[in-house]
Amino acid sequence: MKRWCVFALCWLACNAWAETETALNKVEVATDLPTLERGAETVMTVCVGCHSLKYIRFHELAKLGMAKDKVDTWRGSNTMGTAISSQMPADAALASFGKAPPDLSLMAKARVGEADYLYSYLLGYYTTPEGATGNHYFPATKMPDVLAVAGVTDPAQRAQLEQKAREVTSFLAWAADPRAQERQTLGYYVIGYLLILTTMLYFLKRRIWAKLDKA
Amino acid sequence: MTDSNVLDNADRRDFLGKATAAVGAAGVAAACWPFISSMNPSTDTLEKATTEVDLSTIPEGQMQTVAWGGKPVFVVHRTPAQIAAMKDSQGGHDPQVDAERAKDPQWLVVVGVCTHMGCIPSKNEDGWLCPCHGSVYDNSGRILHGPAPKNLAVPPVKFVSAEKIIIGEA
Amino acid sequence: MVSRVLGWIDQRFPLTPFIKHELTDYPTPRNLSYWWNFGFLAGFVLVLQIATGIFLAMYYKPDVNLAFDSVQHIMRDINYGWLLRYIHSTGASAFFVVIYVHMARTLYYASYHKPRELMWWTGQVLMLLIMATAFMGYLLPWGQMSYWGAQVITNLFGVTPFIGDKVVLWLRGDFAVGDATLTRFFALHYLFPFLICAVVVIHLVALHTVKSSNPSGISLADKDNIPFHPYFTIKDFFGLGLYLIIFCTFVFFVPGTFIEAANNIPANPLVTPPHIAPEWYFLPFYAILRAIPDMLGGVVAMALSVLIFAILPFADRTSIPGGAHYRPVYRAMFYLFIVDVLVLGYVGSQPPTGFVVPLGQVSTFIYFATFFLLPFISKWEERWMRARGLPPELMALFEKRPPRAKWPRKGEAK
Repeated sequence: MKRWCVFALCWLACNAWAETETALNKVEVATDLPTLERGAETVMTVCVGCHSLKYIRFHELAKLGMAKDKVDTWRGSNTMGTAISSQMPADAALASFGKAPPDLSLMAKARVGEADYLYSYLLGYYTTPEGATGNHYFPATKMPDVLAVAGVTDPAQRAQLEQKAREVTSFLAWAADPRAQERQTLGYYVIGYLLILTTMLYFLKRRIWAKLDKA
Repeated sequence: MTDSNVLDNADRRDFLGKATAAVGAAGVAAACWPFISSMNPSTDTLEKATTEVDLSTIPEGQMQTVAWGGKPVFVVHRTPAQIAAMKDSQGGHDPQVDAERAKDPQWLVVVGVCTHMGCIPSKNEDGWLCPCHGSVYDNSGRILHGPAPKNLAVPPVKFVSAEKIIIGEA
Repeated sequence: MVSRVLGWIDQRFPLTPFIKHELTDYPTPRNLSYWWNFGFLAGFVLVLQIATGIFLAMYYKPDVNLAFDSVQHIMRDINYGWLLRYIHSTGASAFFVVIYVHMARTLYYASYHKPRELMWWTGQVLMLLIMATAFMGYLLPWGQMSYWGAQVITNLFGVTPFIGDKVVLWLRGDFAVGDATLTRFFALHYLFPFLICAVVVIHLVALHTVKSSNPSGISLADKDNIPFHPYFTIKDFFGLGLYLIIFCTFVFFVPGTFIEAANNIPANPLVTPPHIAPEWYFLPFYAILRAIPDMLGGVVAMALSVLIFAILPFADRTSIPGGAHYRPVYRAMFYLFIVDVLVLGYVGSQPPTGFVVPLGQVSTFIYFATFFLLPFISKWEERWMRARGLPPELMALFEKRPPRAKWPRKGEAK
């Protein structure tokens, strides 16, 4: 009992320690197709201007259920088996930003805070007193304020931007782990099966061991 | 491991023991499936199951060999004389009408793997000759004589336009 | 039909006699608690790691330009590739949970005493092999944490006197962790589990020679042993079921728990992640490494912290069996040690600033003090317990046999 208490305290302390900077805004990642489609629309029209998604092929988007004509618009003359590449060539990116914009396929997993971080980052732009744009969550970022978040105070507009950020985050969360749904569904079946089997094993164990004192 | 130790009281049918063993065995069998399935072609391999061919680069009377699913495929731009010769015959010991094999008679698309032992046949005026064991195919890819049992396989072909086909899609 | 086939085999190969003697009829103490399930669980995890590892190796590419992509290929395109990968990554952590509990059980009941010293030492060899396998395996995904963890730890070998730089160069096959390192780590990561299997066989042969210890610490009379089958086969399977429920919860619902965020970024030799930390199972040893300011001292301390377990059969000088079961002072030391290891784990996970530094140093001191003080404390405790009066079952034990033989001192006859 003592051991568990200490371990729990240690674990809590670890978690408390992790959040030393600005607290992240929590986002509920959506997994429904319409939200993912809207997120994909934003990503394919805005983000792909600079970022690639090299582990997602257009086939994947079609398989997810996105409208065929939308996918065809996004891929242009590329075949369905092509990976999503950025529209900005690497050297131009280096010239404009000083370093290549990172690939987004795994971005929803590659930062501590994961989806919450992405969501907070997209909405985290603000205008400095000097008039420049900064980001609360990644001050050194070279990425411009793509959602035009900085300076927006109107609550209705703000809500729209939050919705958009949520869509983008949800799509990127899907892109980082396209098999998540399948994995969780299979997980329910597996755990269910194991609960049944383990219960049967428990009663069988009891029955076998009961014979011990009678013998 | 025999069941006799588990069935201590032989008079009673050990339902729980048998049932648990059955449920457990089913689980073990199901657990093997992901391992076996992982060895099947992956989704990206299956996506690459089609090849596009630009027909405008193949002059009349010529053949182009393209790769489809790791195998060679012959794309033949047949001359009117060849088409006429093939129209009326049924081939050899695997009879088949030419119209079934080439939807558009001008273009014959067949898998370039001999149905005998898998060598790649060589093209000649009248069709193909397989150098390995001498199987002879006509200009419709049908086996005429030799040890090969069947005609050259016809893959699904889709005409996207008059100048472009997709092999692998119907 | 089956019995006819078995009969045919038995005339040529001792199959049935072997199974009966070592498995089915094998005498096992009837009072074994669930803490004795963990050896079997460790064997199961080993088999599962090997199975998933082999199938992963069918698609993984040990080349710096291809490794990270091949892992993504496995995760996204290979049928059930994500499942194989997550079982393997979760299984590595599960392996350490299981063997740490298995070791803790042995420490608690002081089962490392005579005649089980070889079991303890073969177990220690197994732990070293598993640690090496895990360390090499962690490089394979070629993520940021993979690369920098390997870079830091291979760097440590540079403390070897005189030839330190040459050793590091030899280990890596290059000036920094690179393609040569990755390929050789893959080759060895594939090999080591089979070495582990061989040492497991030795471990089990030793076990079957001396038989299992039990929670009372006293060798049981023959009548108190029961056949392994069906009593412990069913108990092991039931324990396995419980284990799998917890394991599968991680694999299917929170598989990313054991994958550091930074490892989702391909390795970049020019950019270091904000904190470099090893996987959780190495954190206590990492804390000890950092607790000593001098690099050579830190490496020696870290190596010693793993190897020092070997002295326990000699350091624990009591003749009272059963470990913490009968010995209150030993029990307190055990719990203190466990808490200390957890504190060290916490220290290892934090950047070495502020109060974490002295906390790590105090915890390291306590860690080693436990081993160095044990010879004196165990002897004092025995005197104290005998003076108080031992419980009847222990008194009976000592009436039957004389106190533990001491090593003969100089001048004394043997």
